[in-house]
Amino acid sequence: MNAPSVPIRLAGVGVTYGRGATAFAALRGITLDIRPGEMTLLLGPSGSGKTTLLQVMGCLLRATTGRVELFGRGVEGVDAEGMAALRLAHVGFVFQHYNLFPTLKAWENIAIALDIKAVPRAGQREMALELLARLDLADRAEHYPSELSGGQKQRVAIARALAGSPQALLADEPTAALDGKTGQSVAAALHDLAHRAGVAVVVVSHDPRVEPFGDRVLHLEDGQLIDDRRPTRSPR
Amino acid sequence: MSVSAQAAPRAARRLPPAGTTLLAWRNLAHDRARFVVTLVGVLFAVLLMGVELGLLVGFARTTSGLVDHTHADLWITPAGTTNVDIAGRLDERRRFEALAVPGVAAVDLLMAQFAFWRKPDGGNESVSMIGFNPATRHGAPWNLVEGAIEDLQQDDAVVVDRLYAGKLGVGKIGDTVEINSRRARVVGFTEGIRTFTQSPYVFTTHTNAQRFTLFRPDQTTYMLVTLAPGADRDAVRTALKSRLGRVDVWPSEAFARQAQQYWLITTGAGSALLLAALLGLVVGIVIVGQTLYATTVDRLPEYATLRAMGAPNRYLYAVILKQAAISAALGFGSGMALVYAVEFLMRGGSVALALPPWLVGVLALLTVMMCALGALISIRRIVRIDPTSVFQ
Repeated sequence: MNAPSVPIRLAGVGVTYGRGATAFAALRGITLDIRPGEMTLLLGPSGSGKTTLLQVMGCLLRATTGRVELFGRGVEGVDAEGMAALRLAHVGFVFQHYNLFPTLKAWENIAIALDIKAVPRAGQREMALELLARLDLADRAEHYPSELSGGQKQRVAIARALAGSPQALLADEPTAALDGKTGQSVAAALHDLAHRAGVAVVVVSHDPRVEPFGDRVLHLEDGQLIDDRRPTRSPR
Repeated sequence: MSVSAQAAPRAARRLPPAGTTLLAWRNLAHDRARFVVTLVGVLFAVLLMGVELGLLVGFARTTSGLVDHTHADLWITPAGTTNVDIAGRLDERRRFEALAVPGVAAVDLLMAQFAFWRKPDGGNESVSMIGFNPATRHGAPWNLVEGAIEDLQQDDAVVVDRLYAGKLGVGKIGDTVEINSRRARVVGFTEGIRTFTQSPYVFTTHTNAQRFTLFRPDQTTYMLVTLAPGADRDAVRTALKSRLGRVDVWPSEAFARQAQQYWLITTGAGSALLLAALLGLVVGIVIVGQTLYATTVDRLPEYATLRAMGAPNRYLYAVILKQAAISAALGFGSGMALVYAVEFLMRGGSVALALPPWLVGVLALLTVMMCALGALISIRRIVRIDPTSVFQ
């Protein structure tokens, strides 16, 4: 059995779309461990397989070959509901376009995530407000997403991903739609989260502003991991 | 303590709604135009089902009203009788044969025969003369609102219903008409006694009815049996049938059911009403299905997000089913308000719309079923949702 200190472990993972002559290998032979308490960046050009790798790590997509373990548990043979249960128990997601529920207020967006995790309703509002306060959004709790700026929306999305205290947080281009300063503040918030809360944070990004915040940088090209390094300098 | 200080703990204690309820309500309320279309669809389906089924129950009650209000244990009818309004003749002397059967405590006579009613200002109407025994009052008019049963002892006295007073050309006690060319005088009015045949019931004594309908004094239409205490109804019924020969012997409720079946099924009247109610159900399913599906398709990215976050399928189904339930509850409430309004407007008419509590329950169940079936189309779409679509 794997040590719980390795939240996500991939061994020889490949993902192929289609069959026969039209088959396309999006990932090939990826082997890596994602560790808690650090922010891992997934970099690479468009079509290199970054998002596919994120989906495999988050139990959203099945690997065609190889083995994927989430907190020591192999996901082979787990059905769609089982995969959803694994995501719910261990993983929080942050999306490029925020994916907030437009009909719900900021705190309600977070309360929904708590509700899915069966957090008793009596404590949902308080916990949602607490998470918003952690991300400096206490005064925006009663606002709908349409009333928030891009940076505020993304921070609400991060707060939602943190609802229920997941051990892994996977973010897909979280700063792509944000201006320079806001993008940096979101990247800093994710870095802070990894270091203070011990969460394993994985960020897919094209954004060079994010790179200084990574504790570890993985570089993909044509579906293969071509570089795995730890920058000597960190912003903190 | 200030008012706001008192209110604060109350607000803190107030639970937020379940996430699925919150999402369901906001999804509906967010697109008001579509929500209104859904509600109008449910409303009209409930209205159509409520009115048609209410008419069906009203007609059924009307066809068996005389039997239901006669309170006999058994009915002896001429052989082959299919309903209470149309029957042949029985020899009155057979009453004594019936009385000789063990378990029979009493046998009453009841007349039911069509006759011609000539209005005071000319013109004829067909009526159904009901002649009963004033001593026992089996078959006497119910809901008498003017006059008294005792007044029927006079040999020209009749009681009619207020609903048909205009049709029969009478308006007050003392008005005189002709029935089969014999003078008749109105001595009372009932309220709400309808007939399915649209030939109004005209109540009088059995003796008077024989005279009005030109029956011989030894002829009648029905015999009403009252059982002795502790008598076995089925055994008595078998014995009566065996003793009297060419007659039918019915338990009261079976005769009532037979009358309902004859008028509603044999004549096709009930099928037409049921078909219209079914159409209402189908229309409702289609409208709810279409509007819920459109709402679901609009919100597919949100359902995909929920799925990506790890929500089990049942959570997504709950959101859709709650949308259907909210539409059902609001549509049912407003639809029933209209059904009751229609029922109120029809109270003075010759067609009855009955809304017993069990029918309201059936309508509620049909509405829930309709909305749930409408939601199934959306659920089928959600089943196929791909959580990775949130990354596109």
